[in-house]
Amino acid sequence: MPSQEPAITNQIRRLRFEHGEMTQDQLAKMAGVTRHTIMALEAGKYFPSLLLAFRIARAFGAPVDRVFEFRDTV
Amino acid sequence: MSDSEKWAWWVLGVVLLTVGAYGAFLKFFGHNQATTSVFALLALTAVPASSRRYFRGRTFDEREREIANKAWRAGFSAVWLAFIGLFMTIGFVKGWDATLTVPVWNLEETILWAWVVVLGVEAVTTLILYRGGAHA
Repeated sequence: MPSQEPAITNQIRRLRFEHGEMTQDQLAKMAGVTRHTIMALEAGKYFPSLLLAFRIARAFGAPVDRVFEFRDTV
Repeated sequence: MSDSEKWAWWVLGVVLLTVGAYGAFLKFFGHNQATTSVFALLALTAVPASSRRYFRGRTFDEREREIANKAWRAGFSAVWLAFIGLFMTIGFVKGWDATLTVPVWNLEETILWAWVVVLGVEAVTTLILYRGGAHA
């Protein structure tokens, strides 16, 4: 039976702190979105488009799969 | 609070003001063309787009665009349901072969009420999706 857990998790909060305690606002500006969207992403309530995922990964200078992780929950 | 939420609160206020004014006119002047004039208040919904000081306009990123699209669809879905409900009710009450004669201002008012429903449902849906919805 499929799990109800979200299939995509992210390390945005951890990566922000690893990058000099980058604020949500700073990351939002770098990714071209609002701070509310970063908050929703960190809370796992919103899954970004591929474009936004690449933008966030670029802001951290990391590959996408280090920021976002797909979990096969079936 | 995001620009979209500010917009939604403003629009909700305008909708409530319009409905309140309509009720007041209805009570004091009766149901006539003068009552229809209160729908001019709906023009206030254009203020956010023109006021750069207090409303910077709705700046959208992909999540906000998704919320706005859902809210827009919810507004029109509500009107569509009301439209179907109204016609079904008229059909059942008056009979399906009945002929209706309505004044033009009555028809205009129906369209304006539909617009009130679109704006009201859109604003409420926007606030719900921002506050506690899947996109919050």
